[in-house]
Amino acid sequence: MALTITCPICGKRNGYEFRFGGEEKGPRPEEEGLTPEAWCDYVHLNKCVAGVQEEWWCHKDGCGSWFKIHRDTTTNLEKEIKTVIEEAGK
Amino acid sequence: MKNIKRVSPVQLKSSPLKTEQKDNWDIVMEYAGEGDGPYLVDLSHKLRLDLQNGEINAITPFGIAIPDSPGKCVLQDGLLINRMNKTQASIYNLAGQDNVDMPDATGYTDVTESALCVAIIGQQVFAICEKLTSLDFMSPDYVAPFLFQGPFSHVPCQIVTLNKTGDDSGIILTCSRGYGRDMIHAILDAGDEFNLKPAGENRFRNWITRP
Repeated sequence: MALTITCPICGKRNGYEFRFGGEEKGPRPEEEGLTPEAWCDYVHLNKCVAGVQEEWWCHKDGCGSWFKIHRDTTTNLEKEIKTVIEEAGK
Repeated sequence: MKNIKRVSPVQLKSSPLKTEQKDNWDIVMEYAGEGDGPYLVDLSHKLRLDLQNGEINAITPFGIAIPDSPGKCVLQDGLLINRMNKTQASIYNLAGQDNVDMPDATGYTDVTESALCVAIIGQQVFAICEKLTSLDFMSPDYVAPFLFQGPFSHVPCQIVTLNKTGDDSGIILTCSRGYGRDMIHAILDAGDEFNLKPAGENRFRNWITRP
């Protein structure tokens, strides 16, 4: 089964309707004291987790909204946030 | 002084039998050989507005309350209001009352000229749609009227299902104007086996005003 993604506006849809927006990397670093190296690391370095990671997606063929989901990169299946929290607590 | 000419992005090859001029649009009211349905009707001349406001729940365009959650629609007095997201709604003047004009308030944008709008009505509408999109119109989770924002023939569209029961079925589809020719080609090609034919606005008017 291909990837399905749950859009917060439109509900569960075919993954081909979406555009991948990269890993969730936390808030943008403070400008003050920011070195080019630190900025470069923030922009370009990824964790590439083999497992569940938080990601940005855009519903480009639908409502156009940007949102975050949790996806298991080993199975290419979306994980509900409830499941992610439960598994992290084990 | 010459009048401006407003041209629909939808060009249908059937021969018009009856036409009218309104607001500089040439509107076909009836085509030759419309058949017994299903029908494809060009509604690109109908006034369509986009409303965007952070306090959208407090706004009542034309006295009609906007549905409270995305995907829900309301059809009242020929006006269709579709809730798109937290801050946005689209408004279609489907029944074509002459007194409906853009409200004199911030947040409204007239998108009539920028998008095509067609109706597919009659029996087998969803059999045609099924050939062009993976959106599940027949899911019991959705009660008509409801809005889908998704791909139709690979083009991002707004699709409002107004009725999904038998011969009274019908959808309104809008997408960017530039896709007009190819979208109509795709719909007519998919509908060929179901005898989908272009029809004039009279068909749509009879359908939308039926009891």
